[in-house]
Amino acid sequence: MASSSATPSAVEREPIIRLNDVQLTLASTAGPVNILRGIDLSVRPGERIGIVGPSGSGKSTLLAVLAGLERVSSGKVHVAGADLNGLSEDRLALWRRNRVGIVFQSFHLIPTMTALENVTVPLELAGAADAVARARAALAQVGLAKRETHYPAQLSGGEQQRVALARAVAPRPALLLADEPTGNLDGSTGHAIIDLMFGEAARLNSTLILITHDENLAGLCDRVVRIEDGKVKSIESRPDNKAPQQAAD
Amino acid sequence: MLSLRFSLRELRGGLRGFRLFVACLGLGVAVIAGIGTLSASIVTGLERDGRSLLGGDVEFRLIHRGTTAQEQTFLQSRGSVSETVQMRAMAHALRSDERTLVELKAVDAAYPLYGKIDLEQPGDLADLLAAKDGGLPGAAVDPQALIRLNAQPGDRLGIGEAEFEIRAVIAREPDRATDGLTLGPRVMIAADALQATQLVQPGTLAYWHYRVKLRPGLTAAQMQDIAQKDFAASGWRIRDWKEGSPGIRRFLDRAGLFLVLVGLTALLIGGVGVANAVHAHLDGKTPTIATLKSLGATTGLIFRVYLWQTLLLAAFGIGIGLVAGAALPNLAAGALAEVLPLPLVPGFYWQPLALAAAYGLLVALAFTIWPLARAAEIRPAALYRDLVAPGKRLPRPAYVITTLLLFAALAALAIFGAEERRFAGAFVFAAIVAFVLFRLIAIGIARTARHIRPRNVRLKLAFASLHRPGAATSALLLSLGVSLTLLVAIALVESNLHAQVEERLPDEAPAFFFVDIQPAQMDDFRSTVLGSAGARDLETVPNMRGRIASVKGVPAEQIEVSPDQRWVLQGDRGLTYARDLPAGSTLLAGQWWPRDYDGPPLISIEDRAAKGLGVTVGDKLVVNVLGRDIEAEVASIRQLDWSSFGINFVLVFSPGLLERAPHTFLATVKAGPAAELALFRAVTQKFPNISVVRMKDVLTELNTIVLKLGAAVRGAAAITLIAGLIVLAGALAAEHRRRLKEGAILKALGATRRDVILAHVIEYGSVGLVGAVMAFGLGWAAAWAMVTLMMNATFYFAPGVAAATALGGVAATLLLGLAGAWQALAAKPAPLLRTA
Repeated sequence: MASSSATPSAVEREPIIRLNDVQLTLASTAGPVNILRGIDLSVRPGERIGIVGPSGSGKSTLLAVLAGLERVSSGKVHVAGADLNGLSEDRLALWRRNRVGIVFQSFHLIPTMTALENVTVPLELAGAADAVARARAALAQVGLAKRETHYPAQLSGGEQQRVALARAVAPRPALLLADEPTGNLDGSTGHAIIDLMFGEAARLNSTLILITHDENLAGLCDRVVRIEDGKVKSIESRPDNKAPQQAAD
Repeated sequence: MLSLRFSLRELRGGLRGFRLFVACLGLGVAVIAGIGTLSASIVTGLERDGRSLLGGDVEFRLIHRGTTAQEQTFLQSRGSVSETVQMRAMAHALRSDERTLVELKAVDAAYPLYGKIDLEQPGDLADLLAAKDGGLPGAAVDPQALIRLNAQPGDRLGIGEAEFEIRAVIAREPDRATDGLTLGPRVMIAADALQATQLVQPGTLAYWHYRVKLRPGLTAAQMQDIAQKDFAASGWRIRDWKEGSPGIRRFLDRAGLFLVLVGLTALLIGGVGVANAVHAHLDGKTPTIATLKSLGATTGLIFRVYLWQTLLLAAFGIGIGLVAGAALPNLAAGALAEVLPLPLVPGFYWQPLALAAAYGLLVALAFTIWPLARAAEIRPAALYRDLVAPGKRLPRPAYVITTLLLFAALAALAIFGAEERRFAGAFVFAAIVAFVLFRLIAIGIARTARHIRPRNVRLKLAFASLHRPGAATSALLLSLGVSLTLLVAIALVESNLHAQVEERLPDEAPAFFFVDIQPAQMDDFRSTVLGSAGARDLETVPNMRGRIASVKGVPAEQIEVSPDQRWVLQGDRGLTYARDLPAGSTLLAGQWWPRDYDGPPLISIEDRAAKGLGVTVGDKLVVNVLGRDIEAEVASIRQLDWSSFGINFVLVFSPGLLERAPHTFLATVKAGPAAELALFRAVTQKFPNISVVRMKDVLTELNTIVLKLGAAVRGAAAITLIAGLIVLAGALAAEHRRRLKEGAILKALGATRRDVILAHVIEYGSVGLVGAVMAFGLGWAAAWAMVTLMMNATFYFAPGVAAATALGGVAATLLLGLAGAWQALAAKPAPLLRTA
């Protein structure tokens, strides 16, 4: 079971994400749609990046590209030690197992599995012998130790997102991707999730990419990348930002 | 196993979408397993009762004569022997003065060697049949004989020149099932009383059966070998108890095969439902599959997860089918024993169940690998985007090849698992043609509908429903079309059989056949018949029996004959001689001999038999007639119209040599219904030895058989329609939610119920109509092939029957489809739109 184990010095030298002129065009019945139009981005291990932009700007697609869920039309995509363009669909799946955790806006829990089983899935896929114990620990970490046997339909939205977070962090990924993780939650529940997520990312020394509409949330990250119309509009650094980590601590 | 674990977790979601999957598989498997179990229990019964069905370990049958002293010595040295003589004869009840044709059986004291005869009266058969105190000998009769003769036990019965007293009524005769087609009820008398009837004359069509109960240490096969070697010239037909009922076996094989193929059709139609169910299920699983993939599951793992699910559900459906298939024939054994005159041994037969399970598994896999592969290849990006770039590609080559191999295995199992491979092969071919054609037409309908842009909103709605992604058009057309095709074909074959028997023949067919007319009686017979009012067109033909001993110098047993003509060489066949080319014959090759020809024997042979035996004009045949080998040269080849019901012979000799051999005559005569009774009485009163077969009785008998078979076949075919309807219901259920929502939106936009209903009528009506037209055409073609190529008969097209069957299918589609629409119309739009 791999995790982010790079030493700080190595981290300085080797970015965990390197995108060069990434373009993505999709075919549709109404003609081709240019979704990403030349994205360049470099992210160091352990960094927390907030990606903001209006609806349809390409944020979620960018996240899908980083997760290896979407193939680019052109450009280079190096993520967590792999050139994603060179990997087949199944190689990408194997790569994800060990390196990437994803939190979706609509949770995407498997409805026929209990909370514990949902968290166990990525560990089982990776062949972890102690999958259940680690899943149990991850659930406890997000405060749901007593809801292990509950099915998604028996959990509140906030609880479902905490299960999804536990599932994402259980394999100790080098890269934690979150797509509007609070988009379907009320304000206080959303805050709790964000605190948990930043805390887990810090605890595991994972790189966090957070897609959000919420400027305040983005403001908690080390850098904020603004995307408009499929291009990077600006990148703002906030090196002194410690608030979420403190909250997590 | 990770995939199994995930699969089981997934199944917790319930089996709602899989009820039809299970039903489709279960139904087809149940039919195949049920037919197989029934067939196996009959075969076991035949084997268990083989000796009593045959009447011995081995049976030797001779025509025209009993055994010679040498033959008799041979038989008796091998075990105990029972002799029976069987022939058709007229029986006359003296009290009621009624006469009827009976199947006469003269039995010796040893009869039956195996099994026992059940009589309604107490007492031993031999005792009851014996002449007592110088009085009349006894007769045991079938209950049907009492009805036809208006007689009762104690009455006197005239047979030939002798009289008998009816002493017993036969409840069950152990060796009756092996007799084949019978034209009258059984009358049994003692062998030593046969002489007095004077029915056995030279050339009389009587059969001598010698059943042997072998002495210990001698097997039936050894006995057959010795007999064939030492008594090759005897011309007896030898059967052992294991093959005592080849006719029944052959019938069972054919009927069983047909019904298994009907079951397979149901299963194939069900396969469409299976594929639809899996497709619909996996459609709903797209988010789960994409999530699993985003968590690192590979395509192979996803495929295995859902393959496990399919296998588990298939095992469930197949299990239900097997239990039902194994149980039903056993539960119904009592009722079946009443209908079938065959021994039935209820029990658990694993072979037919294994075969049914194999069919079920192959169908389940063949129809699901494709949708499973497609689902496994869902990209995780589907979590974000499903509709912008829909990926409709072929699955990977490995999956495509696997699917093709599974269908090939299914075809191979159907063909090589059957005795009649030609028939099974034809079925497989027809099934492939039907499935491919219906699929192509479905694609054609969808494409056409896409390009038609009507102004009328109802038409627009209907056409949109026909071609939108996931439309039920294909499933509907395939399931309905294939089952309707089978029904149309069966309806047409059945109407053809009826037409052959009923509609065409009575005008041409003679009223009576007369059998066993002695040459000395001919003049008197002729004047009696023609002197009876209304009798006309009397035809008489000399008749004797003989068997082909060799063809072009090759002994009969070494000749390779095409299977459909093998009967020509099997045992004795009727032969005749003639001066003129018989009516109904057409000369195809060679010359007909001159009227006054008296040279070396010449022979004219029927066309198909000539082809089967590979003979042509100028070749030499040796025919054994009454124990004497006669060599004859083929002078001509004739074509016969077998369905004319006239007297036809495969072999016709030139006059001369055969005229001098002992023989009898056959005769036919035409008579109007009003003249029949007088003619019957005139002949039967004057000539007690002549057997009279009334054509109408034969036709009634044949019609009854056709009717019974037809009912069984239609019943079986109806199962495919049920399978079709299950698939249809499944396809419609999958669409139900969409229809509800669509109906609600249309109503919210101001559409009336009539608009929505009409759109549905147009949609289902057009699919149903296309299905019906196709089924009409394909069913016609299939029926034509069955009637002309397999039954070698002339095909009569009954468009009314075909159209009624096909249109019945359209009605079924419309009713089902509209039932769904009705619910859509009844629903209030507001709640549906809120959840939209």
